[in-house]
Amino acid sequence: MSAAACAQGGRGRKVEGMPSAVEVSGLTRRFGEITAVDGVSFDVGEAEIFGFLGPNGAGKTTTISMLCTLLRPTAGSAAIGGCDIVADPAGVRREIGIVFQDSTVDERLTARENLVFHGELFGMARDDIRPRAGQLLERVGLDERADDTVITFSGGMRRRLEVARGLMHWPSVLFLDEPTVGLDPQTRRSLWAYARSMRETEGVTIFLTTHYMDEAEACDRVAVMDHGRIIALDTPDRLKARLGGDVVSIAGPDNEALAREVRESFEIEPRMENEAVEFNVEQGGDFVPVLLARLNGEVRSVGIRAPTLEDVFVSLTGHQIREQAFSEEDKMRSMQRMGFRRMR
Amino acid sequence: MTVSAEATAEARAAAGSPRRATGRAGFLQVVRVIWLREVLIYFRDRPRMISAFTMPVIMLVMFGEGLGNSIAQLPGDIGYRQFIFPGMVAMIVLMNSVFSGVSIVTDRQFGFLREILVAPVSRTAICIGKISGGATVALVNGAVMFAIAPILGIDITIEVVAKLLPLIALVSFMLTGLGVALGSRLRSVESFQMLSQVAIFPAMFLSGIFFPINNVPAWMDVLVKINPVTYAVAPIREIALSEQLAAVPADAPFQITHVEWFGYTLSTWEELGVVLVFGALMLTIAIRAIRTTE
Repeated sequence: MSAAACAQGGRGRKVEGMPSAVEVSGLTRRFGEITAVDGVSFDVGEAEIFGFLGPNGAGKTTTISMLCTLLRPTAGSAAIGGCDIVADPAGVRREIGIVFQDSTVDERLTARENLVFHGELFGMARDDIRPRAGQLLERVGLDERADDTVITFSGGMRRRLEVARGLMHWPSVLFLDEPTVGLDPQTRRSLWAYARSMRETEGVTIFLTTHYMDEAEACDRVAVMDHGRIIALDTPDRLKARLGGDVVSIAGPDNEALAREVRESFEIEPRMENEAVEFNVEQGGDFVPVLLARLNGEVRSVGIRAPTLEDVFVSLTGHQIREQAFSEEDKMRSMQRMGFRRMR
Repeated sequence: MTVSAEATAEARAAAGSPRRATGRAGFLQVVRVIWLREVLIYFRDRPRMISAFTMPVIMLVMFGEGLGNSIAQLPGDIGYRQFIFPGMVAMIVLMNSVFSGVSIVTDRQFGFLREILVAPVSRTAICIGKISGGATVALVNGAVMFAIAPILGIDITIEVVAKLLPLIALVSFMLTGLGVALGSRLRSVESFQMLSQVAIFPAMFLSGIFFPINNVPAWMDVLVKINPVTYAVAPIREIALSEQLAAVPADAPFQITHVEWFGYTLSTWEELGVVLVFGALMLTIAIRAIRTTE
């Protein structure tokens, strides 16, 4: 497929049915013995906010790197805006904006110069570059600092600048790899507000990886990734609804005994989480009095809450997303990934 | 996919689609923008600008006065300060060129190299832009040396300077190419510092910047002649000192400049030929290195 044809296919797509910005099929990447990404398939719609949720080493960054044509897949295929990632990497790169995990702005240039430089490299028309740079700087609230060198910027400001730069050449998909790691909550919120406003005004698809649950909650759809595979893909609400009802947690001096009682009396399989016994039930509020009446063991505290994506993750994988003990394979996978990043 | 997605797609269509088509950046456009960045960064870095001059000027004055008086007179009654001036110009060009080329290591360390490499543009254009940027900086530095030459008590005419500038441009292109070729293989600034200790400084000292190349022990003679920088220093000196060199008798104990290969004396043009070939080689290596960087 020629570059021009695929670019057109991406831009003006008005085909019947649901237009896809990203189409992935059986994408696989191996590093020697280790399979970092294991045959993942999914579609991302136009103007969707799509999240990859998973622990470090799950294969999120490797997948994104392949979609951004920075890494060749071992097997499988993917297309962005109709451009194939292997056959037409240059076409793909025009269709996408990338915000990497670590900063890639030139701190000796000003904010505006960074954007202008990017516009030139991406072949934007001269007349478009400056107005577009001005518009984006205003949009991310950097217009007053536009002509200061980036070295004087805080971490949050640099991040905003990178988002603006990623959008500079009107990409159809903006990739954000762990966009808010290391940022304070306020900056994270404002970054999200910018991303949403860009989606509203420009219809850009936003594809991000995260291991923050609140960030995943804000996505239209979430793909839960673990050990190189997608183990669930749905809207956050539907993912949580799958668990059914509420999460009830009880704790006492002997949690093991409580868990056994719950299992035997109610035929529920409880989990040991956060030094408490947790399980899911419909109508948690009605269930707790019944539970307490029937339990013989001492209960010191009871909690009822709506399920979170964290619960979804735990129920799908059997382990928590944070503080999880790295298996040997995960460690290798993560090392491979870091090695790969250093190579660049 | 979702309701909001359809809504925004409609909104976009209603707004007349704010997106504009982008083409592929032209080769020269890429060269220009990469070049511009190098030059901008250089002129913003005052300490680097100042330090680029202080060392050669100090060396010129201190060595010229201090060493010059104790060194036996060079053939043709050429003063030592006059002799090392072209060497100092070459040194400034060498330092600035190699350091500019090697700045690709810093670009890598601070992540900016990735921003450049993900752009859908010709890697060759990136490389040529980088090299021309470094060469420009080196040329500006060399030119400033000529501008301050009269203050330092050096005899030099405008005519000679006019001949030297294009020569310096060529030499700095070659040496920046060398810097980029080296820099694209290195992973950290520390490894560059190591490299400059073991390679760049010896290359500088063995290039005839400080002493005549044809009056050294045999082992050093070999090192001087396989050192590509020698072929860059010699033409600069031959042009800068053309008047004084003409007065050197043919039967002098040794000739101050012109590289000799097994009794054959290279002309200035032949030395430039070596620079050109080496420069082309470096450019090829640098382009290949940038191309294979992922």
